Amino acid sequence: MPKIDPETQALYDEINGMIQKFKDDQKAKADCTLADKCGDMSDVTKIRFNSKKILKGHINKVNSVHFAGDSRHCVTGSLDGKLIIWDTWTANKVQIIPLRSAWVMTVAFSPSGNFVACGGMDNACTVYDVNNRDASGVAKMVRELVGYEGFLSSCRFLDDGHLITGSGDMKICHWDLEKGVKTMDFNGHAGDIAGLSLSPDMQTYITGSVDKTAKLWDVREEGHKQMFFGHEMDVSSVCYHPNGMGFASCSEDQTARLYDLRSDQQIGQYEPPQKNTGFTSCALSTSGRYLMCGGIEGMVHSWDTMKQRHTGTLSGHENRITCISLCPNGMCLASTSWDQQVRLWL
Amino acid sequence: MVTMNSEADKTQATNATLAMSSAEKQPAAESTSPLPKSPPATAAAGVAVTTECSVPAAASLPPVPVPAAAPAAATTQTSVPTPAPEALANGNSNANIEEVVVAVASTAAGATVNGGAAGVVTSVAAATPPPSAKTVNVRDTTTSAGVSGSSASKSSGLLTVSSNHHHHHHHQQSSSSSSSSQQQQQAAPSTVVVQSSSQHQRSNKNEDAPNILVYKKMEAIIEKMQAESTGVAVRTVKAFMSKVPSVFTGADLVAWILKNFDVEDVTEALHFAHLLSSHGYIFPIDDHALTVKNDGTFYRFQTPYFWPSNCWEPENTDYAVYLCKRTMQNKTRLELADYEAENLAKLQKMFSRKWEFIFMQAESQSKVAKKRDKLERKVLDSQERAFWDVHRPMPGCVNTTEIDIKKAYRRGGSSHGTGSSGASVAKNPVEQLSRIIALRKQKLERRTIKVSKAAEALVAYYDQYNEFDYFITSPELPNPWQTDSTEMWDTEKNSKEVPVRRVKRWAFSLRELLNDAIGRDQFTKFLEKEYSGENLKFWESVQEMKALPQSEIKEAIHKIWQEFLAPDAPCPVNVDSKSVELAREAVNSPNGPNRWCFDVAASHVYHLMKSDSYSRYLRSDMYKDYLNCSRKKIKSIPNLFGVKR
Repeated sequence: MPKIDPETQALYDEINGMIQKFKDDQKAKADCTLADKCGDMSDVTKIRFNSKKILKGHINKVNSVHFAGDSRHCVTGSLDGKLIIWDTWTANKVQIIPLRSAWVMTVAFSPSGNFVACGGMDNACTVYDVNNRDASGVAKMVRELVGYEGFLSSCRFLDDGHLITGSGDMKICHWDLEKGVKTMDFNGHAGDIAGLSLSPDMQTYITGSVDKTAKLWDVREEGHKQMFFGHEMDVSSVCYHPNGMGFASCSEDQTARLYDLRSDQQIGQYEPPQKNTGFTSCALSTSGRYLMCGGIEGMVHSWDTMKQRHTGTLSGHENRITCISLCPNGMCLASTSWDQQVRLWL
Repeated sequence: MVTMNSEADKTQATNATLAMSSAEKQPAAESTSPLPKSPPATAAAGVAVTTECSVPAAASLPPVPVPAAAPAAATTQTSVPTPAPEALANGNSNANIEEVVVAVASTAAGATVNGGAAGVVTSVAAATPPPSAKTVNVRDTTTSAGVSGSSASKSSGLLTVSSNHHHHHHHQQSSSSSSSSQQQQQAAPSTVVVQSSSQHQRSNKNEDAPNILVYKKMEAIIEKMQAESTGVAVRTVKAFMSKVPSVFTGADLVAWILKNFDVEDVTEALHFAHLLSSHGYIFPIDDHALTVKNDGTFYRFQTPYFWPSNCWEPENTDYAVYLCKRTMQNKTRLELADYEAENLAKLQKMFSRKWEFIFMQAESQSKVAKKRDKLERKVLDSQERAFWDVHRPMPGCVNTTEIDIKKAYRRGGSSHGTGSSGASVAKNPVEQLSRIIALRKQKLERRTIKVSKAAEALVAYYDQYNEFDYFITSPELPNPWQTDSTEMWDTEKNSKEVPVRRVKRWAFSLRELLNDAIGRDQFTKFLEKEYSGENLKFWESVQEMKALPQSEIKEAIHKIWQEFLAPDAPCPVNVDSKSVELAREAVNSPNGPNRWCFDVAASHVYHLMKSDSYSRYLRSDMYKDYLNCSRKKIKSIPNLFGVKR
C-alpha cells in the first residue's frame, strides 16, 4: 500500500465528513417510517397469481424476458442461442430469432413492438426488426452495436430510434439506432452495471450496479443526478415506481429495498421470511403496492410495499429465476429461469 | 463426450482402486481418493469434452469453454508428446472407442451451428497428433470459436478447465507407461502421487474461483472431522444380512460440532452441518436431499476428489452417462428417483444423436463397477450419487455449485485487468476524489423532502391507482389470459366502448390523458373547439421530433421553429419571451441544434395546458358526457365471467 499523501488524505477526510453530513441529513428527514404512515391502511391479500401458462421452447437456461408495449407479446433470450417472441395469450411462438452468439444476457422490446434488442457475453448489442425478414425468413438484424469492453447486462429502448445500454465494463451508452452511432458513452458505476429501469415519462432512468449502489440519470446528461446506498451486495435489478418518484431495487444480499427520489433515501426494506435467497430481478405492480422479486432459489417473492409485509410466494420454477417482467397493463407477470422454462403468472 | 483418454484413465483407475482396496480395506473417507469411475470421465474427458460442449444446445455451462479448447489442446498436446499411440497400446477396446468418439464428434459437429467445427478439429487433433499440425489446429479453433473481442478475458477463466486436462494427461501418461495390463501395485502409487501434485496445481489455478475461500474453510473443518482419533467416529454398521460401511450418524455429527466448535445450541450446529452438507462434503447415504438431521440417519464423508473446490463443471453428457449407468445396475438402492428419470428422458431427447455412445460408455463403466468389492462399491456409488446431488440437485434443493455466468465472466476479467475490477483505480486519485467531492456537494445542496411526505405521496398514489392495479382490483374487461376473450385488446383500438375506469383515469393528470390515444384524441377535439389547439400541436411535434433519427433532427427543428415560434409563425404558441430566447439560442447554436432544444418551451406549454385547458376540459360537458356515456355502456355489458367489480 503506497503512502497516502496529505492532499489525498485531506480529500478523503472531506468526503468522510460529507458522508456523515448526509447521514445526519437523512436522519433529520426521516421523521417517520413508511410503516408508521401506512399503519391505518387496509391490508392487502396474499398475492393471488397462479402459474397459468408455461411457455416451452427454450432448451437451455433462459436469461431474460421483456414485454412489448401491447402487454401481449414478450421476448425471451436463452443460452440456447435463440430469442423467442411469444404471443403470451396463445402461448405460441411468433418468431424465433437465432443469434450469432449464444451468450445472451439481456433482451428488450421496444415499446412500439417493432424492434427487439439483445446482448450479452458477445460484448455487443444487436437490434432486430421484428416486422422485416431477411432472405432466410428470420427477423432482419438492423444494427450491431459494438465497442463494449464487457458483457451487456441491460438494455432498454427509449423509442424505436434510441437505446440505452448498461454493461459489464461499467459503462452506460446511448445509441441512435437510425445512424447506428453512439451518442453518449460514460462510466456509470464503479462496477458492472446490472440493471436499468426507465422512468414512466422516459425522461430519467435508474441503474443498479455491482458496486452496491443505484443511480439516477437524466437521459440528456452524462453525470448522475442522485446516488443511493444501502445494499450490502451487488444490486441485481432496479424498477421505477410507477409514480416516477421512487424505485425498488433487489440484491444478492437477500433484501429488496424501496427508495424515494425526493427524500433521497431508502424508505422500505423487504426480506424473505426465511433468509435463504438472494434476488435477481424485481417488479412493482401498477399502484406500487406489491413488490415482486425473483429469487435464486426458484421462487418469486412478493411483499406489500407499504406495510412491508411478505405477501406470499409464487412457486413453480425448479431453479434460479433470472428475470421477471410485468406487462405494462400490470395483469401478467412473466418469469424466466435456469430450468429452461418461461412461466406466465396471472 | 469422452475420448479414449478417459477410457484409459478409467481402466487404470479401477486398477488403482482395486489395488488399494486389497491393500487396505478402509475405503473412501480417509483414503487419498481412489479415483472413482465417472468423474475421471468428466475431467479427463480431455479436449473433446470441451469442444463438444460448445454446442449451444448441449450445455449448461459458463461461457468459458469455447475458447477453452484451444489452450487446453495446446497444453495437453505439448506437455504429453504422444498420448494417443500409447493409449492405443492399452488395448483394442480402447482403439475402438476412439474411433467411435471421432465419429460421434464429427456427426455432432456437423449437426450444430456454432463451435461444431471446433469440435471436429480438436478431437481429431487429440486423437491423431502429428506435431506440426497441432498449432494450426489450435489456431483454427480459436478463430472459429472466437467470440468477438472478448476471447482474451474469457480464456483466463479457462485455466481451471485446462488444468484439469493437464492433470489427467499426466495421469494417463504415468499409467500407460506402467504398461497397461499388469502391475496394478505399481500403478496405484503413481496415481496417488500424480493426483496430489495435480491437486496442488489445480488449487493454484482455482484460487480466484468465487467460493474458494469458503470451500477452503469448510475443507479445513472436514479434515478435522476426519482426524483419526479426534474426529467424528466413522464405523461400519452391521445391518440385517448386510453391512453399511464407513458411516456416522447425524446425532454423532451434531454432538461433535457442539463439542469442537463455539456454537450456541443444537439448532446452530444443525444449520452448520446442513451448510457443509449442501456443498456435498457430507451426505446422507440414502437421500437425495443434502441436509443433516439430528438423529440416527447415516451419513458419509465425500472423497476429496469430488469436493467442490476442484471446480467440477460437469457436463450434461456426463450426467447422462451416469443416469444411464444407474439404470443398468440392477439394484434397488440405485433405482432412479422420479426427477432423475425425468432428467434422463430429457437428456435422451437432447442427445438423441449420440445416445448410442452415451449408452456404450455407461455400459463399460457399469461393467467395471461390477468387478469391485461389494462394500467399496456401496461407498463409491453413494459418493458419486452425492456428487450429482450437488451438481444436479433434486428440485427444491438449493444449487450451491452452479455459478452465475456474469460472475464467472467477472472473475475471468479480473485476472486480466480488464472488466470491472482492474480499471479506474489507476487514475489520479486527487482528481477522482475532487470529482467525488463536487458530486457530493451537489447532493448536499439538493433539497430533500421528509420521509413522511414521501410516504404520503406513495399512499396517495396507491389510493388513486389501486383501482387499476390488477393485483388488487379485478379488471373491468375480462382478463384475456383467463377468459380467452381478446375484448381487452380490441377495445384498445376502437374508441366506441371505453371502459369508465379508463376515462376516469384521464382526470388523474394530463400525462394520463395524453398517454391514452383516445384521451389525447378527445383533448385535441376539445382544444380545437376552444381555438387553442396549437399548444398541444407544438408539444406533440416536439415529442415526435425527439424520437426522430439524428439525420432528420435538424430539419424537424427548423420546421417547428418556423411553424410555432418564429416571429411570423403561422401558428404561434403562447410562450414567454425568455423560453423563446433560449430556444432561439439553442436552434442557432454553432454546434447545431440538438433534440432537446425546445424542452424549456415545451414544458412551459405543457404547464400552461395543465393549469388552464386541462382543468377546463375536465370541467367541460364534453368530458362529463363521455364519462357518463361509457358508464352506461359498462352497465349494459353483462357480467359474463363472474369477475368481481
